[in-house]
Amino acid sequence: MLLRLASERATGALLRDRGTLYLVEGQVVHAESPVAPGIDVMLSATGRLRPDGWTQAIREAGADGAVGRYLVDSGLVSGGELEICHLGALFDAAFFALAPSSGPTRFRYGAAHWIGPVRPVAAEAVERETLRRRALLDRLWAHPETDTAPVVPSPRSARPRTAAPRQRAVLDLADGVRTPADIARALGRPAFHTLIDVRRLAAAGLVETPRPAAAAAPTPPSDVARLMAMSADPDVALLRRLRDALEATL
Amino acid sequence: MANTETALKEAMAMIEGAVGVALVDYTSGMALGTIGGGKHLDLNVAAAGNTDVVRAKLRAMEMLGLQDEIEDILITLGGQYHLIRLLKARGGNGLFLYLALDNKRANLAMARHQLRKIEAELEV
Repeated sequence: MLLRLASERATGALLRDRGTLYLVEGQVVHAESPVAPGIDVMLSATGRLRPDGWTQAIREAGADGAVGRYLVDSGLVSGGELEICHLGALFDAAFFALAPSSGPTRFRYGAAHWIGPVRPVAAEAVERETLRRRALLDRLWAHPETDTAPVVPSPRSARPRTAAPRQRAVLDLADGVRTPADIARALGRPAFHTLIDVRRLAAAGLVETPRPAAAAAPTPPSDVARLMAMSADPDVALLRRLRDALEATL
Repeated sequence: MANTETALKEAMAMIEGAVGVALVDYTSGMALGTIGGGKHLDLNVAAAGNTDVVRAKLRAMEMLGLQDEIEDILITLGGQYHLIRLLKARGGNGLFLYLALDNKRANLAMARHQLRKIEAELEV
């Protein structure tokens, strides 16, 4: 769909259930996803832009669709910095927007984003990078559940932690409540980068997803419960053998 | 106040013996911009591959307990120098400049110096 729009040099917004891609003449000029922190979060997190600078830019230049140019012209951020943050945010949001999903895909011709022109990227490059990123995640740790579930530091990791400083920041925020997307927002980093760090930490055994079993321990069916009540003395030896056999096969 | 493309172009033009240069995000391995390269040096592949070099060094420093930062990494090949310079500014967190040089034409000390200048311009 994206490549077809690119070949017909379409201008507008590609709306999918996990994000939106903005195109101008077939090139990708911006992307947004509810999962990925926006460019405003990234610019403010580095301390370069105060939140009032951002709201001022939106107020002054939002209606004209030239917020990017206003930020540079008014000296709030430099051209290089805006580009770097914008490209980071664009590829990050595009990764989620282009994720395989069963939801509807629509294209609204003519729709433009208020950030305005920063640096357009070829649709093929966005598509290629998105596929490369998906492959990279799977190579690191092929268990996608860490992407969306809140993670906790693994209680079993008694050995000294050898996480790099950037990963340690992620580890510190992994409290079993925040999802990787929440951690990304709190740190002002791209969401995909946080997924990478979480998967690397998971592969190193430093984080895990909390066991859902504890929360949803099902009550046994009534006849099983009756049997369990009858045999007050379970066959411990048999259970041990069963456990060992299961562990050997897993 | 250079944008990324001018900064990279400047690197190619100013630095004697430059074969290719890329601005790389070392968490995702994505090249935010490349210039030069060619069929013997795919800069996108080099970008992704060299993120592992940077990460390995950062991890080694972490294990050694070194409270310091990497300024640059030099890799000497038979015919080329590869120079990796980590961007330090707040906005450049997690990025590095990757420069491939032809070692017959390049002046290493000069190249390091110029790369430092380009980094500074990128972050003004």
